[in-house]
Amino acid sequence: MTAQFWPSHVVMEVRNASKTYLSGANEVRALTDMTLALKSGELTGIVGPSGSGKTTFLMIAGLLEPPTNGTVHFRDQPIANAATRLNNLRDFRRTHVGFIFQKANLIPFLTAVENVQIALEINDVRPKQAKARARELLAQFGLDHRENNYPSQLSGGEQQRVSIARALANDPVMLLADEPTAALDGSRGRQVMEVFRTLADVHRVAVCVVTHDPRWSDIFDRIVEMSDGRVVEVRPGGAMKARLQV
Amino acid sequence: MNIALKDMRFSMLRFALTAVGIGLLLGATMGMIGLYRGIVHEALLIINDVGADLWVVEGGRSGPFAETSAVPSSLDRRVEGVPGVAATRRFIQYNQQYDINGKSVRLAVTGIDYPKDSGSWIPLIDGRLFRSTRYEAIADQTTGLLVGDVIRLGHDDYTVVGLTKGQVDMGGDGMFFVTIPDSQAINRVLPSEAILLNRVAKGRSRMGLGDGGALAAVMVELKPNADPQLVKAQIKAWGDVEVLTKEEERSMLLDGRLWRLRVQILAFTAMTLLVAGSIIALTIYMLTLEKINQIALLKLIGARDRVIIGLIVQQALWIAVLGFSVALLISFTIYPHFPRTVLLVSEDLAGIGGALLVISLGASWFAIRRAMKVRAQEVLA
Ligand SMILES: Nc1ncnc2c1ncn2[C@@H]1O[C@H](COP(=O)(O)OP(=O)(O)OP(=O)(O)O)[C@@H](O)[C@H]1O
Ligand SMILES: [Mg+2]
Repeated sequence: MTAQFWPSHVVMEVRNASKTYLSGANEVRALTDMTLALKSGELTGIVGPSGSGKTTFLMIAGLLEPPTNGTVHFRDQPIANAATRLNNLRDFRRTHVGFIFQKANLIPFLTAVENVQIALEINDVRPKQAKARARELLAQFGLDHRENNYPSQLSGGEQQRVSIARALANDPVMLLADEPTAALDGSRGRQVMEVFRTLADVHRVAVCVVTHDPRWSDIFDRIVEMSDGRVVEVRPGGAMKARLQV
Repeated sequence: MNIALKDMRFSMLRFALTAVGIGLLLGATMGMIGLYRGIVHEALLIINDVGADLWVVEGGRSGPFAETSAVPSSLDRRVEGVPGVAATRRFIQYNQQYDINGKSVRLAVTGIDYPKDSGSWIPLIDGRLFRSTRYEAIADQTTGLLVGDVIRLGHDDYTVVGLTKGQVDMGGDGMFFVTIPDSQAINRVLPSEAILLNRVAKGRSRMGLGDGGALAAVMVELKPNADPQLVKAQIKAWGDVEVLTKEEERSMLLDGRLWRLRVQILAFTAMTLLVAGSIIALTIYMLTLEKINQIALLKLIGARDRVIIGLIVQQALWIAVLGFSVALLISFTIYPHFPRTVLLVSEDLAGIGGALLVISLGASWFAIRRAMKVRAQEVLA
């Protein structure tokens, strides 16, 4: 393992962020004064009970939701706060952030390869190159024989792999995944987690994965435990322990 | 990659049905406007084509189209003497139902002042114009007659020597052109009950009835530099006749006799336009609403607004273009078989096309506004 000798820097940092949702007349406090930095080459796992704010944190770190209080910094530069119109950060998201969700969220009228290709094309990659790159990515996930199938013709696991390929298409510096393995069986789930591990190790991507699944704790560098909108514990994951033992 | 086309190809059947639906709506609109144009066109056919500058009709009446009119048959010679008059022609037209080959056919019997008028303004599709002052006829094809047919009207046999097309009166009855003496002869021999009924009903004779020699009107062609108003005033001064210019005949028909029908059809046309317009607008808006999830998804993966706007506008335009094509196809294949002329004027079609474009873009604009509001994370909800 060579990864540990690479210098790692903070890619995205959420500082003192709170998030309050208005649901009808009452306020729901989803996040309370949370600070967490995601570093390049680091695979972070976020665990915690349902409703503890895990998804909310991903949304704020991924610039999909503005924090109600606090700031988000990209490479130490403030990039978002309560006043930011996040529609304006779509360009940044396109080029820097990859998202993976529990549901694959593929565009139903595009084939597997087109779903990946579109992510490249909206980032100004020429159609021909985009297609070649999309096919390459799908092949990496063992989907070369399924590339011309529509999402409805793919299994849940295949769909999820297409969505991972799409998330990686534009070489993001940060990958945010919200229960990506929930729809997958054990071995498929592990495969996906290993892809994340490789992304962190080889491509120096900052990877943050929300999961309920305790089986993956050996793959994470650190595990952040959340409860009630706060970080209650940060402990090293299996990967970190393994390194420390080397 | 054109996602608008990809989406359309993916749900080809739905898009096709939508386009056909819109096409039918537009086709109905085209039909309504065409029907209106057809009615006006047919009503004005003779007035426009016959080449008369003035119509001398029965005194105090707006004949011969908007009202009935009867003038003495020697009137044309009197009119001929008026300064400024280049030529006169006698005119008779009446509708009659006849049994031809056991089938009941309505004819608009129209007298042609042969040989002064050879009938050269009648568009022939078969046969020839008049060569004899008696017993020849030129029939509109809607009468079902063919060149060479011999039919008995009144006491005489008439041979169809020419066939014409699109020559109908304002009621849609096919024209049956005969010479003036023939038209008078046919008119004289109505069934006796009809004559009696007519007399009882009106207290006076129907045009030409009881006066075998009567005409409906005398048509006047003016010399090139003659002042129509002057000639009109001169003839009117006789006191027993009314004189109407070509323009007056037109407006008498359109704003008089056909007024209610026109307003009715126009009102229906406006309704059709409104219904078609709102349904098209709604369809295009719904098309976008159905895709709002995919649009949120596109935003999530960072698509720029123009990608989303392109998707919406392109699909709206495709639907519009396809719908319009379907409408044209329907209009040009179906309407020619309608009993009355549906006149498809290219300006009207262009107008409908333009309105469709505006409606589509307008609906797209609302759809785009809705799409711009959707937040990427709505996909995740
Ligand atoms: N859009 C929203 N409007 C209102 N309340 C919300 C919204 N999103 C989240 N919440 C609330 O905020 C709190 C945190 O939600 P969040 O989705 O971050 O939890 P989570 O840790 O991801 O839970 P789970 O494990 O069930 O996915 C919850 O109480 C939730 O009901
Ligand atoms: Mg969640």
